[in-house]
Amino acid sequence: MPLATLPTLTPALPEIFLAIASMLLLMLGVFSSEENNTRTVSYASVLVLIVAIPFVGLVTEGRTVTFGGAFVTDTFAVYIKALVLVSAATAIIMSKDYLKIQGIERFEFPVLIVLATLGMMMMISANDLIALYLGLELQSLSLYVIASFQRDSARSAEAGLKYFVLGALASGLLLYGMSMIYGFAGTTSFDTLANIFHDAHGHVSVGVIVGIVFMLAGLAFKVSAVPFHMWTPDVYEGAPTPVTALFAVAPKIAAMGLFIRVMVGPFGELGAQWQQIIIFISVASMLLGAFAAINQTNIKRLMAYSSIGHMGYALIGLAVAGTAGDAALQALGVQSMLIYLGIYMFMNIGTFACILLMKRDGRMVEGIDDLAGLSKSNPGLAMILSIFMFSMAGIPPLAGFLGKLYVFQAAIQAELYALAVIGVLASVVGAYYYIRIIKVMYFDDPVDELDRGISLEMKAILVVTGVVIVFFVFYPVPLLTGAESATAALFHK
Amino acid sequence: MYIAAVFLPLIGSLIAGMIAFVAQGAVRAEDTERKKRLDLASQLITCGAMLLASVAAILVFIAVVVNGQNGTVELFTWVDSGSLEFSWELRGDTLAVLMVTMVTVVSSMIHIYSIGYMSHDGSIPRFMGYMGLFSFFMLMLVSANNLVQLFFGWEGVGLCSYLLIGFWYDRPSANAAAIKAFVVNRIGDFGFALGIFACFFLFDSVSYDTIFSEAAAKSTATMNVFSGEFHALTIICLLLFLGAMGKSAQLGLHVWLPDAMEGPTPVSALIHAATMVTAGVFMVARMSPLFEYSDVALTVVTLIGASTAIFAATVGCVQNDIKRVIAYSTVSQLGYMFFALGVSAYSAGMFHLITHAFFKALLFLGAGSVIHAMSDEQDMRKMGGLYKLIPATYVLMWIGSLALAGIWPFSGFFSKDIILEAAWGAHTGIGQYAFWLGITAAFLTAFYSWRLIIMTFHGESRADEKTLAHVHESPKVMILPLVVLALGALFVGILSVDYFVGEHTVEFWKNSIFVLDTHKALENAHHVPIWVKFLPLVVGIGGIALAYLMYMFAPELPKALASGFQRTYQFLLNKWYFDELYDKIFVKPAFYLGRGFWKAGDGLLIDGVGPDGVAAAVQHLARRAAAMQSGYLYHYAFAMLLGVAFLVTWFLVAGA
Amino acid sequence: MLEIGLSHYLVLAAIMFTLGVFGIFLNRKNVIIIMMSIELILLAVNINLVAFSAHLGDMVGQVFALFVLTVAAGEAAIGLAILVVYFRNRGTIAVEDIRIMKG
Repeated sequence: MPLATLPTLTPALPEIFLAIASMLLLMLGVFSSEENNTRTVSYASVLVLIVAIPFVGLVTEGRTVTFGGAFVTDTFAVYIKALVLVSAATAIIMSKDYLKIQGIERFEFPVLIVLATLGMMMMISANDLIALYLGLELQSLSLYVIASFQRDSARSAEAGLKYFVLGALASGLLLYGMSMIYGFAGTTSFDTLANIFHDAHGHVSVGVIVGIVFMLAGLAFKVSAVPFHMWTPDVYEGAPTPVTALFAVAPKIAAMGLFIRVMVGPFGELGAQWQQIIIFISVASMLLGAFAAINQTNIKRLMAYSSIGHMGYALIGLAVAGTAGDAALQALGVQSMLIYLGIYMFMNIGTFACILLMKRDGRMVEGIDDLAGLSKSNPGLAMILSIFMFSMAGIPPLAGFLGKLYVFQAAIQAELYALAVIGVLASVVGAYYYIRIIKVMYFDDPVDELDRGISLEMKAILVVTGVVIVFFVFYPVPLLTGAESATAALFHK
Repeated sequence: MYIAAVFLPLIGSLIAGMIAFVAQGAVRAEDTERKKRLDLASQLITCGAMLLASVAAILVFIAVVVNGQNGTVELFTWVDSGSLEFSWELRGDTLAVLMVTMVTVVSSMIHIYSIGYMSHDGSIPRFMGYMGLFSFFMLMLVSANNLVQLFFGWEGVGLCSYLLIGFWYDRPSANAAAIKAFVVNRIGDFGFALGIFACFFLFDSVSYDTIFSEAAAKSTATMNVFSGEFHALTIICLLLFLGAMGKSAQLGLHVWLPDAMEGPTPVSALIHAATMVTAGVFMVARMSPLFEYSDVALTVVTLIGASTAIFAATVGCVQNDIKRVIAYSTVSQLGYMFFALGVSAYSAGMFHLITHAFFKALLFLGAGSVIHAMSDEQDMRKMGGLYKLIPATYVLMWIGSLALAGIWPFSGFFSKDIILEAAWGAHTGIGQYAFWLGITAAFLTAFYSWRLIIMTFHGESRADEKTLAHVHESPKVMILPLVVLALGALFVGILSVDYFVGEHTVEFWKNSIFVLDTHKALENAHHVPIWVKFLPLVVGIGGIALAYLMYMFAPELPKALASGFQRTYQFLLNKWYFDELYDKIFVKPAFYLGRGFWKAGDGLLIDGVGPDGVAAAVQHLARRAAAMQSGYLYHYAFAMLLGVAFLVTWFLVAGA
Repeated sequence: MLEIGLSHYLVLAAIMFTLGVFGIFLNRKNVIIIMMSIELILLAVNINLVAFSAHLGDMVGQVFALFVLTVAAGEAAIGLAILVVYFRNRGTIAVEDIRIMKG
């Protein structure tokens, strides 16, 4: 009998690929010439992330576990990973000009994003508390660094520090919760936990409940749901803009995926207990996202509140998934949430691409007032930003409206009427500040013109995301079927 | 091929739109050279796309109608939500393909014509873009295979119609007309949407195939409306017909069409004569499997159609604006089509739709040519004696008018004939009503057509010298499309009468139109008394003769009549006072209501509670929410801990 | 003789955890103290894990604790690095001063 057998590696192929590739990228950075090694590594990183997508897509159905059950690959993971990879790759593409303007062209930047992406993929595929923790920390540690990547800027450093301290606190809470669950349930494996709670018929010890609450708090921090959102505005504002663009999308989607997997996986039987909490943080996030953004003057900070609000809407789906005993309804909730996240990704990438184009005399600006008169100086950009803003506000027939429609519909089906009503009211308030941006662009007296000239990559990103947002209503099927098969992986084991 | 026919116009229009909104925005005002090039590019691209689309459409037509293939193309699933499931599909039966062919051919002619007609306009790419977009929506409408896609096209053409009526947005009258068209259509569309909902409610599907195959089984079903039980299919059909009335400008909802002539003439020809306004007719024919089971709905269709035919014909006799005369004639001809549908002679209605598309587009474009020649003068009282100056237009107008009046062997003769015979052949009271009104309207049609020709082309010129000096024959790019349409007006009827309504009708339509065996109007139409067959032709010639008498040989007679029958004349001139009536009943009260709401509701309630109430509260909350974000790390950490403590407490107290 | 049982370990860990958390938001002077508090929290978790591991007779908890230790080391390194960057920019590491961004 051998001492140990090598676990099957194929399910983790994309992660292994990314891990090896990230080290090669580091070497590439070191060994290529000093002047343009950032460019080289950036392009190579984008290539790596894109190549990883077909690796991820190898799984078309079914569910494979490996590493002693700690790592799982299924269509759910595929869906979330695909979104994460796409958004990380675009974040790197979008960072190119910014890094040059701010004088922080260093090849570690794309490598750190690749590493963070690897962490996200690990945590999406986690099927064990230990794997979850390791993935989460790999992601977080990389993100702390790139948040403070602009070393000569006090704001960037402050963003990194705040993110680090609060993130570490959140990890502490999460870990403490994990230790309680481990102690009182006796295992760290998701599958075993699910079985234990299934047999317990919803009756669990106080220790487990405290553990779940602590874990919930830790996960809520990662998706920046109220009241664990406080870091978001400051970090979004202080971090370099491409980093903010990354923060707003990839880690959010990954953490949401993790949130779903944890809540409907091991704790799926305890929906009756955590549903109320999700409803609470969902409502709180939607309302805070709507109200706190109104008086903002910095567009990145505004986007922070906007993303808090959007996470609130997405959490409606999770609340529906907490409906006890109705698998079809739970699946509907998760599916609506996944659709919402997909649309959210496109809207945010597009919006941040526009923000990254806000330059005056070769310097970045980020005040909302700086957009005044954009409709005159750059009508194309003004139009596409308006499309994204209308979509974020949920104006039909844009994709943002349909995303909201799906989650609200799920809430209605689950008879969570209050949630749907509050959601609609919050989006009315939220529409105010999105449309204010349009008003500034089209009706305010022009200030000094923003720089013209949009690079080819940015044009491509803007066009693709814009087309997706506008035409989603006519051809929603790819996203819908993707979300549907992803959901199926969670509910038919 | 089918896909190309439908989507090429879209692609062309998108490119033109890009040119209009992106490329030309970047062109400096003084750079006319570049602007000209862009104009030309947009014209070539949209016209090229339309021409290719019509070639593709003809090929599809041959494949489906001649070779009997099933041309249905499924593009992809659109909505799949519970029992509501449907795809983007292009339906490939005779009815759909016929319409696609007609729309693409007529539309491409009008596109080409627009190159000449709009040559002096400042925003050519925008115009071409709108026209292409309209063609796409119209093709979507006719090729739909479910009610939602039909509705998509339906609303799309409404939108384009709005945009194109108001194309010259610096004219207040054009804006008013555009808004009027939009609002009146909204009333019809409201009914139409309700009809679709009712359909889904009854059949649990919006797909044609399901609905049509289950119609017979549901023919006795009832539906509960306002706590009364009604025959379900009647409700559905009447609601759908309300939509058709709006779109096809039938009596009651017709008021927008004459005003829509504020748009450029090619628009009037394409949208408000040949294609969009016939969408209602097409839709009723498409829905024939439902309408067949509701005698009430069919009777209503006949009644409205026949009344519209006579109403519009009477009004058309006294109008002085050349385009308005043709507009009322369109309304009247649409009435013919509808009463043909109402007596279950769907194929006759469709036949008239096709022939009408050619000769009415010809008439409109001819009128456009006249207007072009007269430096944008539209009032016939200021024309006259033009036939020597613009002979080609004159001849073409003759052809169009002969077809409209239903003179053998022009195409209008065949279609109008069969409609009237079918109305007679229905052997019902309402059929007789339609027949006699139709005959009268045919007389009036011939009369006002020649009134138009004589006032425009004959007699002494009443134009001022400056205009007269400028009169010139239109360029070839405008005349050539007219020739093509004239060929259609000449030959479409005589060549295809056997297929549409004659001996080959069964193999031509296949299953795309459904008629119950008990509804024999069309069959009886071939066995009517000889005087019924000849009456339409006789009254047509009579109308022409009267017009010659009144306007050529005794020009003082009309004036004498007008002053002699002052009240009748005023009644007709004011279009039966429909606008005034609506103004009194709807518009004025709506204004009062609006003002009331504004003063009492907005002023007191909303402003009172609003800026000082809700808005202030929102501002207050916004400041509070932002103030929570103090910037201090320890506040943030404290908030997190409070959150955890709160959640644990909640869990322990309430959750478990 | 007092027997040291599972509950004692848990109480100890809970006290350490609370101390750590309070250290983060009661201290307004020095970020270094926050770093130490974070370490305290992680150590509390480790005590929990090891105690449970021993109690359950299951090795997973101790393996988990080793992972946590490793990650904690990385976390401390990154935290200090960020702190150094911050100090270079502002010349202070007082917690009260870390509020350029607010609202």
